[in-house]
Amino acid sequence: MQSLVLSHVARSFGSTAAVRDISFTVPAGATFGLLGPNGAGKTTTMRMIFGIIVPDHGEITWDGGPIDAAVRMRFGYLPEERGLYGGMRVRDQVAYFGRLHGLAHPDDRTATERWLDRLGLAWAANLHCSELSKGNQQKVQFACAVVHAPELVVLDEPFSGLDPANADVILNALRELAHEGVTLILSTHQLWQIQELCDTFCIIAGGVVKTSGTLRELRTSWPVRRIEVEPAVPALRAALDEFPGLLASPAAANSGATNALAYDVPAGTDVAHILRQLVAAGDVTRFEQIEPSLQEIYARATGAPA
Amino acid sequence: MNRTGVIFAAEFARRMRSRPFLIGTALGAFSIVVTTLLPFVLSGLPNGRPGVVLVGEPALTSAVQALIANDYATVDRRTHLDGTPNLAFLRAEHDAADAIVIERDGAGIRAQVYAREPAGFGLTFGRDVAPLQAALATGIPVADIKRHVTVPVTVHDAGGRFASVTSARAAKGVAFLSIILLYVAILINAQVIMSSVAEEKTSRIAELLVATVEPAQLLTAKVLASGAGGLFQLLVWVLVGAVSSRTVVALLPHVQALAHPGTVNAISIPPSEIVAFFAFFLVGFAQYSVLYAAAASLINRTEDLGAVAGPVLIPVLAGFLVAEFAVAYPANPWIVACSQIPLLSPFVMFSRIATSDVPAWQIGTSLAINVAAAVGFAFLAGRIYRVGLLLYGRSPTLRQVLRALRT
Repeated sequence: MQSLVLSHVARSFGSTAAVRDISFTVPAGATFGLLGPNGAGKTTTMRMIFGIIVPDHGEITWDGGPIDAAVRMRFGYLPEERGLYGGMRVRDQVAYFGRLHGLAHPDDRTATERWLDRLGLAWAANLHCSELSKGNQQKVQFACAVVHAPELVVLDEPFSGLDPANADVILNALRELAHEGVTLILSTHQLWQIQELCDTFCIIAGGVVKTSGTLRELRTSWPVRRIEVEPAVPALRAALDEFPGLLASPAAANSGATNALAYDVPAGTDVAHILRQLVAAGDVTRFEQIEPSLQEIYARATGAPA
Repeated sequence: MNRTGVIFAAEFARRMRSRPFLIGTALGAFSIVVTTLLPFVLSGLPNGRPGVVLVGEPALTSAVQALIANDYATVDRRTHLDGTPNLAFLRAEHDAADAIVIERDGAGIRAQVYAREPAGFGLTFGRDVAPLQAALATGIPVADIKRHVTVPVTVHDAGGRFASVTSARAAKGVAFLSIILLYVAILINAQVIMSSVAEEKTSRIAELLVATVEPAQLLTAKVLASGAGGLFQLLVWVLVGAVSSRTVVALLPHVQALAHPGTVNAISIPPSEIVAFFAFFLVGFAQYSVLYAAAASLINRTEDLGAVAGPVLIPVLAGFLVAEFAVAYPANPWIVACSQIPLLSPFVMFSRIATSDVPAWQIGTSLAINVAAAVGFAFLAGRIYRVGLLLYGRSPTLRQVLRALRT
């Protein structure tokens, strides 16, 4: 089973600790969201996976062994800092990175044509990269990262600077890669874009892991549940206020349900009992238990506003 | 093909297409053609000798005219002047270079020269007219004196290396030309390799590359591509030089007359010298390439290239200047010492080899020191390169560079 394992990895630059203690496992074929605010240590972590930066402590393994040059040949990387040879033709550029990752001729050309076609860039194959828009350059960069059919692809902010149409192209390509069994690690601030794509998340801040797991696991470990009740009438509000531990939810203001009562309920509370009490207190037209969104989990984990 | 090979091929192709390389190669070839053709063309011009006006007694000026005929073209002879000769006078006299007044001085003669360019007046004049001075003093005919004051001199190379003075002079010429070629090639290469590294650094490709290949591998491939590009450039220049010199001999009748067998043999270069040139060329190229690559990895904007290139340019200039002296004084102890110092010796040792008999052990130690230095420079440069490539936003401090060298 080929999986990526980071065990207590740490790295400092001078007196600044960029990564203090990070451990997580990315199973083979998983789509893993590495989330965190700016300066959390995401990019440093990704660079350590590729050996660009050597950890001060801890260990990073792939398939149980160290990640050496031969292993890295089977990885793909889309760094946060994008760069292409401006004077090189798109086709040559993608094929070059394919060859750097071990693709022989003519496989490099075949794979290049397939990816350019897949990303809607066939028309630009003979153009110099400097002639393309920023969004199209980013798609070329994406092609460079995946042209050699890697087992693991690490993408640092793959959607930044893309318009919605191009972001959709990349998103679809990532779905296809995930479907093909490629292990993906994504870092992005556009949480809504990867909530459905990723099956596992790891939220880091201050160089340490704040929480990790599947969305279901993250939700299960969420300390409160939110319930929404309609209509927002005094009788129902009074019934809810009588329950110990229930608090009016600050997220209600953001829910858009102005005619609803929103309360945070501690995890483990018998919600069915609450519903029975409400029905006894008045007419209930809607009773909904709302799972926390990834955005809310992220905000709570990192201390950022939701 | 391994990854070093992939990068090498891509780098070499990019180098062949890069503007500085193409322009530099073309300009170098053009300079070689001009350098080859110009002396021959100029030597064939009818007015190659400076024109002079001779003033004085007809018997004296007539004798002087005959004696200086090889070095000066007499455009006019006069018995007297209406005033002191000036530029207007010289222009009026077929644009003559000098007016030479010959006066009797006791039993002999003396000359007053009014020169358009005093510093350029040839010292050969006094030597040429010396037989006339002796003839006037002794009464012996000028022709006899001239015949008896000339001693045939034949110079032989004590080391047995050069067949003639012409051959030795040709070797100096070849050495001089080779130093210029190495100097120009290193400067062009510096421009190309620094642009290449700077492009990867400023366009942020570097991170993608070092995620795939080791920085040392990247640096090695770049240096190899740089060396291959430099050799290709050199071969183009050598080929152009050979073709243009043969064209000169074939097309210009007066050069054909000069090109007697001795001259042609003098231009032929011993194979050992060619091997030495390529060996020192390559080792010099490698040393400077890794240093320039490391220097370029420290910049964040291409505008800063000049600042980091400056320190590396100093040994190039020093090597070039010392090599100029080495051509003239190949056995000087200081020159011998410089021919063992890395960065300088690629220039200096080749000059010594081309112009003198350098002991084999000195060539051996110099090559060994230079190869070791190239490996050492590559090792240190690789560390700087690794740190420099990933430092964005600001140039690394000296402390960071030193720390990178230690770790």
